[in-house]
Amino acid sequence: MSRKVCIAGGAATPFDYPMHITPEAMAANCIVETQKEIPDFTLRDIEFMVYSHFSVHFGKQLCPEWIVHDHLGLVGVPHVRIENGGNTGGSALYAAFLAVKSGLFDVVGVYGWETMDNVTQSQGSEFIALASDTRYEALAGGIYPIYYAAMAYKFMKEHGLKEEDFALAAMKNRNYAADNEKAQWYRNDYTNPDSPYYKKALTVEDIMKSRLISYPLKRFDCCLMSRGGAFALVTTEEWAKKHAPNTYVVIDGAGLSSCTIRAGDRLDFPGWNERYGKGYPDMTEFAACRRSGEMAYDMAGIEYKNAAKEIDVAEIHDAFSSSEVQIYKALHWCGKDDMKDFIREKQTFLDGEVPTNVGGGLMGYGHPVGATGIMSALECMMHLNDTAPKKHLSSKTYVKDADTGLVNSHAGTGTSISNFILRRP
Amino acid sequence: MGDKRLHKIPDHGSVKWDVRNSNKFRGDVKETGIGFMGYDFDSATEQFKVYLHYDQLYYWKYAEVSKLGKGFIDGEFWGTQCPKCGDKFFPPRVNCWNLDDDLAVTDWIKLKQEGVVHTFTIAGWSGKSSLKRLPFVLAYVVVDGCNTAIANELRGLAPWDAEFGMPVKVVWKPPDERQGTVTDWWFEPADGWKPGPMNEEKERMKQLCAPVYEWVKSMK
Repeated sequence: MSRKVCIAGGAATPFDYPMHITPEAMAANCIVETQKEIPDFTLRDIEFMVYSHFSVHFGKQLCPEWIVHDHLGLVGVPHVRIENGGNTGGSALYAAFLAVKSGLFDVVGVYGWETMDNVTQSQGSEFIALASDTRYEALAGGIYPIYYAAMAYKFMKEHGLKEEDFALAAMKNRNYAADNEKAQWYRNDYTNPDSPYYKKALTVEDIMKSRLISYPLKRFDCCLMSRGGAFALVTTEEWAKKHAPNTYVVIDGAGLSSCTIRAGDRLDFPGWNERYGKGYPDMTEFAACRRSGEMAYDMAGIEYKNAAKEIDVAEIHDAFSSSEVQIYKALHWCGKDDMKDFIREKQTFLDGEVPTNVGGGLMGYGHPVGATGIMSALECMMHLNDTAPKKHLSSKTYVKDADTGLVNSHAGTGTSISNFILRRP
Repeated sequence: MGDKRLHKIPDHGSVKWDVRNSNKFRGDVKETGIGFMGYDFDSATEQFKVYLHYDQLYYWKYAEVSKLGKGFIDGEFWGTQCPKCGDKFFPPRVNCWNLDDDLAVTDWIKLKQEGVVHTFTIAGWSGKSSLKRLPFVLAYVVVDGCNTAIANELRGLAPWDAEFGMPVKVVWKPPDERQGTVTDWWFEPADGWKPGPMNEEKERMKQLCAPVYEWVKSMK
């Protein structure tokens, strides 16, 4: 299997709540924008479409990908839809990766979207909670921030962390989003004269002062609910070299792994006990992140202990500030002993060892679930091909000389997680 | 007979539902299906939107975990245990999770209604149907030495007084209000448990809860 799989290009819409554009029009916009970078790419090139969409509840439309697909004029072209919770985008990329890697297709389109602004935020939270075990968890009043908070609190205690340690990630990602005009934070707050955060650089204190969602998480520790779409073109290296010679990136590593739906079932699961030791991951670690990260590192030839050094830029699934921190550990960027230093030395800020979520992440850019993982891949890619300065508002959020990037997509309470290593060719 | 691990499916038409309570908690909720409730138009940007309402009654069949639902109605906790490896499950798993046990069918066991808090959080925001009971503690509790923890509300204490590892008991709704779901019961501190003294972190939690209490009071 020596065939290399590449991302030739792609584009995302702005993410916002609310936003007035249909899923099919978002797809069209993304493709038009992709053509600006790959001028001779047309819809006729697409051999297979992978649609990435989480919840049909938001549109009250089953098989909504059928609407998008025929709108694009692609009848006859094979299509599937991937639904895998918050990791829907990553899983769709994984599917496209497999499709090209297998040799069956050379050019695969991946389009993801979500229309969460069709419902109120509290109703939206309840819809998303239907991806937890409704019989035992959603009924008890649990929504995802609550499950995550219960995991984060134990993690915080066991690692001697403080709320402020999580708050750093919340502050970082929103402030980076202020340099990205597609980001929801930029649209909704940073450029909105009616927002208390108009033109304001957030501080840790702002995060600490935001209202309680579920201890230790406050409002600004949580990501945004959004409408948005994103498209990526996954191709062979031969195609990418020919049509996007200066901008394509190679997917050098890809991993996908799974964990329990109920976080309470992770205290003693035989599959993890035998792989990582009895009692792992408990309710504190993201085992599926560690496993899929290790798969991706293995494929890309990255030694786990060198991961933080080798990765130049990362876009990871910061649905919550706490999960961003938990992911640092799962990806071997830091361990239990040096975690506090790693966080407090701001190693994931632009000047740190692994600049992370400089596009804004889910907390700053937004989280229209089906589009998110694809957006993360595109945000990571723009540093590897040096297009970040023109795609962001300035070069303040451009990671120069980056050769290796990591993209992470994450679902459930850590129930499905994918990781990719992207490299400059 | 086939493999003993096969779950039995009742014969077609043999489930007669002799104990029926299908509308007991319905109130005035109607199943209306799909309907358009109204529309808005913005002349300046020429944007149009409609208001769609949809509801649906579901018939969740507990099937081979029916013992759990009936147990809740009767105020009992039924979990399962693998006859091969001994792992105990609550919520119940009807096949063992151990790959080497090759889908061994588990045995039903009645559990003691006591447990230990594995982790917890204080919720200050939730889904639409739970907003009015904020703030509440959601705890993951290992019940009766099971290999899993189950999530439910922990009441009977100030939210900031909850502790890791604290012993808890189970408290039930009155029998006539039970629905056969996890909302029939909640956890409370075990008899004799006393909260620790106030400290900086508890003060912080209390402070974060204050506006939540105010907000809930102002809710219609």
